[in-house]
Amino acid sequence: MKARRGLAGLLAGLLLTGCQEKLGTPTDCPELCPGTSLTIRDTVLTAKVGLDSTFTGYQRADQVGALLVSSGLAAGEARSFAVFPARSDTVFVDATPQSYAVDSVAFVVQLIARDTAVHNLRLVLHRVAVTVDTSTSFADLDAQLTPASLIDSVLVSDTLKSGAINIIVKGAALSRLVPFDGDSGKLAIGIRVSAPAATGVRLGAVGSSVSPPLFTTYAKANVADTAKQRSVITLNANSSNYAIDQPPIADPRDLFLGGRSGSRTLLRFELPKLLKDSAAVVRATLELTPRGPIKGLPNDPGELQVRGVLVDLGAKSLAISTVSAVAALAAGATAVQSIDLRDVVTTWLGPNGTPASVLLGIAPEGGTFARPEFFSTESGAFAPRLRITYALPTHPGHP
Amino acid sequence: MSRRIAGLALLALLAATGRAAAQSSQFGVRGLGYPLRPLSVRGTATGGGFGLFDLESAFNPASIALVSRLVADFQTVQSWRHSESPSGNGNSRDNRFPGVFVTGPIGGTRLAMSLSASGYTDRNFSLASSDTVVLRGQPVEVLDTLSSQGGISDLRAAVAWQQSRAVQWGIGLHLLTGSNRIFSHRVFSDTAYAGVSEKNTLSYLGVGVSAGVTARVGNAITFGGMVRADDRMRVERDTSRVGSTKLPITVAGGLRLQLGERFQIAGNGVYRNWSVADADVVAQGGVGSSNTTEFAVGAEYVPNPKRATHWPLRVGAYHARLPFPLLRGEDTDETGVSIGSAVRFAGERAGLDVALTRVWRKGAPGFTERAFLLTLGVSLRP
Repeated sequence: MKARRGLAGLLAGLLLTGCQEKLGTPTDCPELCPGTSLTIRDTVLTAKVGLDSTFTGYQRADQVGALLVSSGLAAGEARSFAVFPARSDTVFVDATPQSYAVDSVAFVVQLIARDTAVHNLRLVLHRVAVTVDTSTSFADLDAQLTPASLIDSVLVSDTLKSGAINIIVKGAALSRLVPFDGDSGKLAIGIRVSAPAATGVRLGAVGSSVSPPLFTTYAKANVADTAKQRSVITLNANSSNYAIDQPPIADPRDLFLGGRSGSRTLLRFELPKLLKDSAAVVRATLELTPRGPIKGLPNDPGELQVRGVLVDLGAKSLAISTVSAVAALAAGATAVQSIDLRDVVTTWLGPNGTPASVLLGIAPEGGTFARPEFFSTESGAFAPRLRITYALPTHPGHP
Repeated sequence: MSRRIAGLALLALLAATGRAAAQSSQFGVRGLGYPLRPLSVRGTATGGGFGLFDLESAFNPASIALVSRLVADFQTVQSWRHSESPSGNGNSRDNRFPGVFVTGPIGGTRLAMSLSASGYTDRNFSLASSDTVVLRGQPVEVLDTLSSQGGISDLRAAVAWQQSRAVQWGIGLHLLTGSNRIFSHRVFSDTAYAGVSEKNTLSYLGVGVSAGVTARVGNAITFGGMVRADDRMRVERDTSRVGSTKLPITVAGGLRLQLGERFQIAGNGVYRNWSVADADVVAQGGVGSSNTTEFAVGAEYVPNPKRATHWPLRVGAYHARLPFPLLRGEDTDETGVSIGSAVRFAGERAGLDVALTRVWRKGAPGFTERAFLLTLGVSLRP
């Protein structure tokens, strides 16, 4: 009886372990193969003529992705500012408010990117009116950056590519930071750069992913115990922004990206039925032809982002956030810009495919000097095009 | 208890139907695949020579008539294969469960019945090739693989009648079902191009009938014969019908000689008119099919006639022409020699059978294959 049960168990065990195999018979194709390999084809689709558009206004004016500061840059002349809240009149020593004397102050800005090829970069701070805001024009802001309003400047180390830049103000220069009457104690600074060559920097802003400008006061409390006199007051900027004077778009028919308020371009394609219904995309490349050298900050390429759309609603098209393609746009580039778009185009296929449209943007939106201008669909041979390499099924394996 | 074991065996039979297949081969690429033989381990060990007379083989429905108790068999095959083709050589191995067999007498009658699942064809293969294609004006190397898994199973329900101790008759109903899961994949040497795949499934469905007889003349000679006819097999790709394939009529005849108590020898010949499928196979994109013949001879020596299944020595050989050539007009054939034995234990209620087969296959010029097949069988006689 035991043996019978054991064998029955063995039988069941053999069944449960199932097939195990290592198949690898070498053969000769195509002589022996039952069917042909997948058919690979190439095609070039031009964006629908007249249905490409550039829209602006995606970025809130007070939430720019970075502060732009430049000097002589072809992409645009930019100045930045930051407004700090009122500094407290007292510091706490042993939980008791005490008056203090200012020993020195420091302004700290975070360098996000710069043109590392330009040396002897100097960051210059000016005292500006606390009324500066997002509506302040470049001319208004630049007019306040005079020798009379100079606070101080600092030479940025040539080896610093990103990170904190400290501007220490002490001694007699502290008098330039005394609050004006009617400013409620607030302090505003303007930022510009100077360098032997045209250049620019991107700095952390209130709305960016890195720290905004800081205003730190090193104070000496009015107490007898010298060990308790030192105190630090740190203030984040309440607001920060920049004003930029950019050259106009060369041709209003062009497609462009970038700018402080954010610009996006919508391209629409007509996908052939064969491709939509039956193909698998092997490679898809979006090709954009610049009108001229791409405007931007050298050695700080803008990140071109291409996303598919869930629904094509023109300017308010809902982008698919999970699938995108990116490419770096180097300043000065004149060659056709190619972006691998396979993941996006794949979402267009099948009966439930998304619209054959792409939304182009640039990151960080409102926080880069990059402002490419591309030929539109009205430019004939230079129009945006999509080069697709795809595979068609061959149903191999026939008897 | 016997009912429980019979139920377990039936469960095994049902579970095995979807994967009943045996050794893979490069000669299984064409047509419906590599043809399989519905033999027990004993039948395999004797080269198929005892196939018409072996009560645990699903070949001749009459062979089950003399079964005296419920028998449940399960077998598995491990193969080690070396293949050669103009594109290179390679070694591979695989493991399959080609057969489940349950048979027993119908109490109070001279009838016996069996249910079995065995392989009809096997279509497991993996092919590789390389090429260069021009994409966007540049030559790009590509590597293609095409693989198939699956085959066709033969489910048989058979009834046999014992007219006398000398003469038995049997009929069987066959259901042929199975699928080939085809997977094609292409990768590019330039990683800018993503790999691409294609899958499809070929499904098969057909029915057939078989009838057979065994007749003993005197004490030493037994004749056996069977004929089988299968209807057209329906072929579908995924859910779309792609056609049907006419299946052959099988005719087999054989002889068994009992030479004393300890030794017996048997042989048979089998003919299938596979050429009837030629037009259908070609219409479905294949190369074609041709008639096949198969000859097998085997011998069994029993050291202890009172315990015939205790360490017998079984040997055999066969030669068969395969129905689906690699290239039209080229013959494909297979030759095999085998050896095996068995042991019974637990009061003869359980058994273990083993067979080792060496096969040589050849087809179109440059295509050869040799393999070792180890077949193991477990049997229960509650």
